[in-house]
Amino acid sequence: MTLTREASAAVAIADGLEFATFYVGDLLIGVNILQVEEINRHVTLTPVPHAPECVRGVINLRGEVVTVMDLRTILGLPRGEVTATTRNVVVNSRGEQIGLLVDRIADVVKAQGDNIEAPPANVGGVQGRFFKGVVKLDTELMVILDVDAALTSDAAAH
Amino acid sequence: MSPLDDSQIIADFVVESREHLADIENQFLAIEEAGADIDDELVNTVFRAIHSIKGAAGFLGFSTVGQLSHEMENVLNLVRSRQLVPTPEVVDVLLRAADTLRHLVESIESSNGVDVSGHVSELQQAAAGKTVSPKPAAEPMAAAAPTSPKETLPPEETPSLKETPPPIDAIGSAEQSIEEDTMSHEEDNAELTMPAASWDPPTAPGNAEAPSAPAPTGAPPDTNIRVAVSVLDHLMNLAGELVLSRNQLLQTVNSTDQTGLDSVAARVDQVTSELQETIMQTRMQVIGTIFQKFPRVVRDLSNQLGKQCKLVIDGKDVELDKSIIEAIGDPLTHLIRNAVDHGIERPEVRATAGKNPEGTIALRAFHQAGKVNIAISDDGAGIDARRLKEKAVTRGLITPEQSREMSDREALRLIFHPGFSMAEKVTDVSGRGVGMDVVKTNIEKLGGAVGIETRLGAGTTIDVKLPLTLAIVPSLVVRSGSRRFAIPQASISELVRIKANDSSRKIERLNDAEVFRLRGTLLPLVRLGQTLKAAHVDIGPEEPANGTAGKALNIIVVETGHLRYGLIVDGLHDSEEIVVKPLGRHMQNSGCLAGATILGDGEVALILDVTGIATYANLKLANDDATSKLAVETAVETDRELQTVLLFRNGTTERFAIPMELIARLERIRGEQIDTVGGSEVLQYRGTTLPLLRLENHITAMPGEEVAKMYVVVFKVMRREVGLIVPRIEDIRNVATDVDVVTFREPGVIGAIVVDDKTTRMLDLYELTEAAHPDWFAERDAAKNERTRQWQETRGQERTPRVLLVEDSGFFRAQVTGFLEGDGYHVTGAEDGQIAWNLLKESAEPFDLVLTDIEMPNMDGCELAQAIRGDPALAHLPIVALTSLASEEDMQRGMESGIDDYQIKLDRERLMASVARHLHQQRSESRPEYANTAVEN
Repeated sequence: MTLTREASAAVAIADGLEFATFYVGDLLIGVNILQVEEINRHVTLTPVPHAPECVRGVINLRGEVVTVMDLRTILGLPRGEVTATTRNVVVNSRGEQIGLLVDRIADVVKAQGDNIEAPPANVGGVQGRFFKGVVKLDTELMVILDVDAALTSDAAAH
Repeated sequence: MSPLDDSQIIADFVVESREHLADIENQFLAIEEAGADIDDELVNTVFRAIHSIKGAAGFLGFSTVGQLSHEMENVLNLVRSRQLVPTPEVVDVLLRAADTLRHLVESIESSNGVDVSGHVSELQQAAAGKTVSPKPAAEPMAAAAPTSPKETLPPEETPSLKETPPPIDAIGSAEQSIEEDTMSHEEDNAELTMPAASWDPPTAPGNAEAPSAPAPTGAPPDTNIRVAVSVLDHLMNLAGELVLSRNQLLQTVNSTDQTGLDSVAARVDQVTSELQETIMQTRMQVIGTIFQKFPRVVRDLSNQLGKQCKLVIDGKDVELDKSIIEAIGDPLTHLIRNAVDHGIERPEVRATAGKNPEGTIALRAFHQAGKVNIAISDDGAGIDARRLKEKAVTRGLITPEQSREMSDREALRLIFHPGFSMAEKVTDVSGRGVGMDVVKTNIEKLGGAVGIETRLGAGTTIDVKLPLTLAIVPSLVVRSGSRRFAIPQASISELVRIKANDSSRKIERLNDAEVFRLRGTLLPLVRLGQTLKAAHVDIGPEEPANGTAGKALNIIVVETGHLRYGLIVDGLHDSEEIVVKPLGRHMQNSGCLAGATILGDGEVALILDVTGIATYANLKLANDDATSKLAVETAVETDRELQTVLLFRNGTTERFAIPMELIARLERIRGEQIDTVGGSEVLQYRGTTLPLLRLENHITAMPGEEVAKMYVVVFKVMRREVGLIVPRIEDIRNVATDVDVVTFREPGVIGAIVVDDKTTRMLDLYELTEAAHPDWFAERDAAKNERTRQWQETRGQERTPRVLLVEDSGFFRAQVTGFLEGDGYHVTGAEDGQIAWNLLKESAEPFDLVLTDIEMPNMDGCELAQAIRGDPALAHLPIVALTSLASEEDMQRGMESGIDDYQIKLDRERLMASVARHLHQQRSESRPEYANTAVEN
């Protein structure tokens, strides 16, 4: 984990940051690509009774049991439906693999450090505390998700 | 030198030093015991160990470690050259220095900042004190106590016992409470600091994912493991075989002709399961690694409390999974400390009671029925149930009414009550109970159980049963709605199916809860579907509830430490050996789940935690008390004589049963492991040869099924171990003992019972062995004649000994009569205590021994014993009680009523040995020894 951080810092200095981006509702969200382990269509879940609402279930990811979270619920948006474009973005958060259900995958975006602005208190109805920054792209805004903050248990406990 | 190399060398140094220090305490204790009579070899070993640490530390620049080990080395050198006698005081100094040395090694990076001057001056004084008498040496030692490791270590390394918040489910509080507890006994603070530092750090509290990942407690979590080279070689071979099988598999799959697929699949299956077993084997470690720290614990604590205790250890070689070994250290330490603190009396008290002033604590580990048993017994004061009850009433845990109704055995369970451990001064009462609930919780988290036996004035035995391993758990897969869940077999006691039209009749309601009457016992019921249902979790459409829909119900009878209940599920799938995977951090709070697993088809199934479900469904202990009480009442009227049996098939269809108590253990073997020597089959097993029997060779039975892997039921007859080959095990069940002893009776077969509408033959292992090895039994007949002759000589009477057998179950009566007559006794049977009593009073010919069941209608065994003891004409009669496991609870009461010994009904050899012994000994005035045959092995 610390290694990832160090490595990402190195990348930032060399040629900017790379973000895997996806849509949750109308929001374009980017996650540091070094924190993303894989993106798959594994959306057949085993629901977990008594789990917090944001937990959609668990999957078998090559022999490991991985929690899949509903990013919409975490961000306080209404729970979405699983559609043909729904993807499972597996990220590494504090040493644990966790899947994030997102509505649609978008491109990989490169951003230089000085293009990243501090996030406003509220982005599209979502609290700013989940975001690390905002990047202005040609046509829209991309918010950078603070994965660890979004997945802390109290943020995800509802 | 690159930093990586450096850290590798340091890591090696830590591992190596740990190994050097691993057994050092016991070595010091042995040196202390030998005193002036120095064992050169031993002192040299310790000297070399410390010397190696010193050398490496100097090389790596760990000056503090070097300094401390240098001083220790000096003292040892003087001992070695016989200039210094290793008195207890000197050894004390060495032990404490070794403790600190260990802590330094564990946090090696910060070791140079630690102040060890206290130890250094102690050691120097000890070394200088070579001509001084040991007494003054003790003085500066106490004065130097403030610099003990506890204070000198960096704060994050120090297990701060006093600051631990008291969450009762953390072992930390156990440590803490016993700490407070010892404090109340002992004012000497200077000494108190020492054990505090020598203990292992408390576990992190609230480990919710157990049993998948038991908290690493005990010794520093070892990331290295020692594996025998032979095991590694075997693994290599298996890996090779696996590669071959894969090649075969690929070839077969790619070719158009797929006829060979079956055999390839079988081969992969075999290699995989063997691989799994061998890998598990690498995780097995001897329990001696934990046991070895206890002599020190006992020594220090008994010195501190002014007691004299001796620790006897047995069964060091018993193997357990590494994770269990790590987790069991703290609970066992707690139990050992309790035995010293509360079990063993002060020397003067013991002397007054006519006991040896030195108390004995016995720590034994052994295999029994596929589990590992650890028994901690002391010959101390025992636990006074009456005072426990009084205390529980004052603490408001039970009402005075409950206290009156409570049996002594139930009262003993009070020490496991969480409320008890919160008590500050329970020790004043003689009660144990400090933190016992924590011990129990932790052992249950490991899938184990704790039992307690006590006799006032004679001692207490705590019995801990543990599974061999945690990582792979045999489980039953069940269905609720459309989802599958796994329940560990260890917590399942039986499966019950209620027929569709029966369910409304058999399920009753009691205080708003559903209960089911199972053989006279009221079983609380929990519907799994309702328990798991939550607003946002869809576990599929629920099936129509209750019997009204006319569906058959599957009830899984599960057992947790204190509670037994039925779980209603929608369907049963297979039994599978599952690999436990922990759930992610967002699901740690789910009490009903113990983890997850991946099933054969790749889907994830959640593992149910039956204890958590009971808590969630609000099945309370009180509720349990009520039901069990009801159950006891009903049970007296119905046939409660149950026998736990192992059910298995030999041929493809024939089913057999063996009483579980007679089985020493089960082994799983491969066909090719069987050797044929001189025409008989044997199994080479751990350096000994186990003779094997095949059922079809000795009784009328179909030939055993040919399987690659089979079980061997190991049992003991005529002091020899024998193995019976069992191709397929079906179940372990409690069955009623209405055995038809006529239809299928032949030597080796007791008779037939009906289980699940199938005729099942109950085997007589003793007769079976006799049929196979008649030569073994020659000595028995000689012994029998000799016994009778001796008996007649001592009595001066020309008649056979007469035994009165009191037993309400016709089956057991017939069995035991057979045993007794086989040994040349005259037997008179009686169906209950009342009939027996009349016989005793009226019979013209006197009886020489009474063999009685405990639970019987009209007059039970205890009442009969009391009546006999109260009658001057009969008081001398030896009384041996028969028990099945179900009535074991009455042992205590039985002993108090004057019963001399307890024996298991179908254990022919022990039973007969006991009868012979008691016939020949005149009943002496002194009470019989504390006998608990159920745990003896």
